[in-house]
Formats: sequence, C-alpha cells, structure tokens
Amino acid sequence: MGTVRMGEIEVSKRTGEELVARGLGSCIGLALIDHMSGVAGMAHIVLPESSGHTSTAEPGKFADTGVPALIAQMQRAGAVTRRLDAVMAGGARMFALGEMDIGARNAEAVTAGLTRAGLRVRAADTGGNRGRTMRLTVGEFEVTVKEAGGEPVTLFDAAPGPASKRLAARA
Amino acid sequence: MTPRYTELQLDALRELANIASGNAATSLAQMLGREVELNVPRVLALPLADAVEACGSPEDATTSVVIPLDGDVTGVVLLLIEPQGAETLCPLLGVDAWDEIGESALREIGNILGTSCLNALASMTGLHLEPRPPHLTTDMLGAIVSSLALTTTASAELVLVLDSELSVAGEPCSISFVLLPTEGGVSDLLAPLGLAEAA
Repeated sequence: MGTVRMGEIEVSKRTGEELVARGLGSCIGLALIDHMSGVAGMAHIVLPESSGHTSTAEPGKFADTGVPALIAQMQRAGAVTRRLDAVMAGGARMFALGEMDIGARNAEAVTAGLTRAGLRVRAADTGGNRGRTMRLTVGEFEVTVKEAGGEPVTLFDAAPGPASKRLAARA
Repeated sequence: MTPRYTELQLDALRELANIASGNAATSLAQMLGREVELNVPRVLALPLADAVEACGSPEDATTSVVIPLDGDVTGVVLLLIEPQGAETLCPLLGVDAWDEIGESALREIGNILGTSCLNALASMTGLHLEPRPPHLTTDMLGAIVSSLALTTTASAELVLVLDSELSVAGEPCSISFVLLPTEGGVSDLLAPLGLAEAA
C-alpha cells in the first residue's frame, strides 16, 4: 500500500496496489492514469511554484515541477502522455487566515501544468474548506475522495480494459 | 536557505514551551476544577511532511482551535483535541460536545489556554503578543496542520513544532498544544534570551 506523503510522487503498475494521499488540506492530490498500459501515478503537491525554493530534491512538492516529474516517471513505467486521465482533489482553504489562498493557487498551478503537457482535468474536487483523502487502486483505476468522517465518493472511473474484464472483476 | 537551530536554541524553545504550556495547564485545571497533567514538551524542527506526521495520523478526525498570533511575533497557536477528548471536556463544563454550545465551549477552552500560554511567553520574553479570535474546526489532522504550517512558513522547508500534551486526570482526554511560529518569529522569540543568532 502506497501512502503518498507531502511532496512525494508514486507510480505503480502493480494491480491491486493502492495509492493514497491522506489529509489533503490546501495540498493537491493529482492522480494520472493510463489504463491501456496499466500505469497509475499520484503526486501530493504542496505549493504552486518552485521559484525561490532550494529543494530541487523534491520536485513533487511544487505544481510547476511536480506535474512534469509525475508525467516523466509514468512514461518511464510505460505510460503514454496523451492517454493520461488526470484527476485532482484538495486545494481547500481550511482557515480564513492570511491573504493568500494557497489551495486555490495550487489548483490553478496544477491545471496549468497539465495544460502545458497537453492534458486536461477529467475530474476534480477542489476548493471549499474541508480536508480530503484521495485514493486510487491500480488496475481498477477508480479514484475516490473522502472527507473527514464521511464515506469515500467515486470521483472518476477510468473504465479499464475490455468490458468483459470489468464484468469479471465485478462478479 | 534552510534555517537550522542549535541544541541550545532548541533547549531554550523547549523551556519556553514548558512554561507556556504549564501556565495553560493551570488555567485549564482552574476552569474544570480537575487536576491537569502536563508532559515534557517536544520541540521539533522538521520538514513539513514529518512535522505533520509528528502531530498524529493525518487522516484522523481532530477538533482544532486555532489562535492566530499578532504583535511582535506572528504565528499560530493550535490546540488539537481528539474526538474523545471533546466528549470528555464538554460534560465537565456541563454542555454537550457536538452542538453549537459545545463548540463555543471548546472555542472558549482554546481561547483561555492559548491566551494563558501567550501571557507566559510574553512575560518571559518581554515581547508584545496578541491573540486574535479563535477559529474552531473538526477535520482531518493532516489537512489542518499542513494548511496552517503553510500559512506560517511559506517555504515549508523546516517547520518548528512546539508540542505538549495536557491530560485531565482520571479522564480519557488529551490535548496537544502546538505552537507554529513564522520563520522570523523563532528568532524574535529567541532574541530576548540572547540566542537569536544561529551558530
């Protein structure tokens, strides 16, 4: 089971493995799925821009470096960029403190990064003032989002592979 | 540049946290008419992800009272109360935990604890510290702590967490008391003690 901690990127093609970004506040959980090659990835992005920061060791921390880093890692695992389904969650404004709405800026910066890569967001659950957990099971490619004390809600279902496989999985 | 703290500085911060949370524990004991125990505070200077996890499991529902700091030092005082703690505290004050009155009681507990902590810090350092009105929210611990840490330290490279545990004697109730100063706020706290300069 892969917990994707703040600033981390995880990519997997092991069927059944879970990628989870827990307790997203103003952070963004970004899931990318290539159901043809069976590769899925998740980034737990903390801040919109890497400029002025020294930690290039953590490209996943920033939207502007994290989106291309996640895509590159997925390509190395056999994914094809144009086939990627992008799903994001988080970007809340937990407290009305300070002038900056980091959550909203994070969501914008992730969307901009995806656009630069020629991808659009297929499903998103961002904003508001509640924390979220984003979960993705490799091979099933269903992305769920859960709020504190709530039940997981399906945000996106990539309808993987041929229909017969899906029916078999359900039986 | 990543700010680093010397052992001496961390010891001084731990001592400040100790006295400040001791003061808060006394206020809580007076308010509840119960004995309140206080552990030795932890002072942690950690990368954001580790700092958040040091406060607990990121997905756990936690009630938090957030008191923004103004004045000579800016930052946030954060009280984290486990759901069970809220259910213990409120009846001790004669109210239900999960309605509006319970919420306002918890906010008031947060206010009193935060203020007594700040008074102690102010009298030790001679700094002017002013608490702003508290916010109360029940949500995922990780979402609360990470979002607050990002509003206090925009770079989020190293977060300083001053963390003490208060527990009401004989009751299943523990409160984490976390101080998140802004980066400049740490040296402001240390300057009156002659420890502002990093070695």
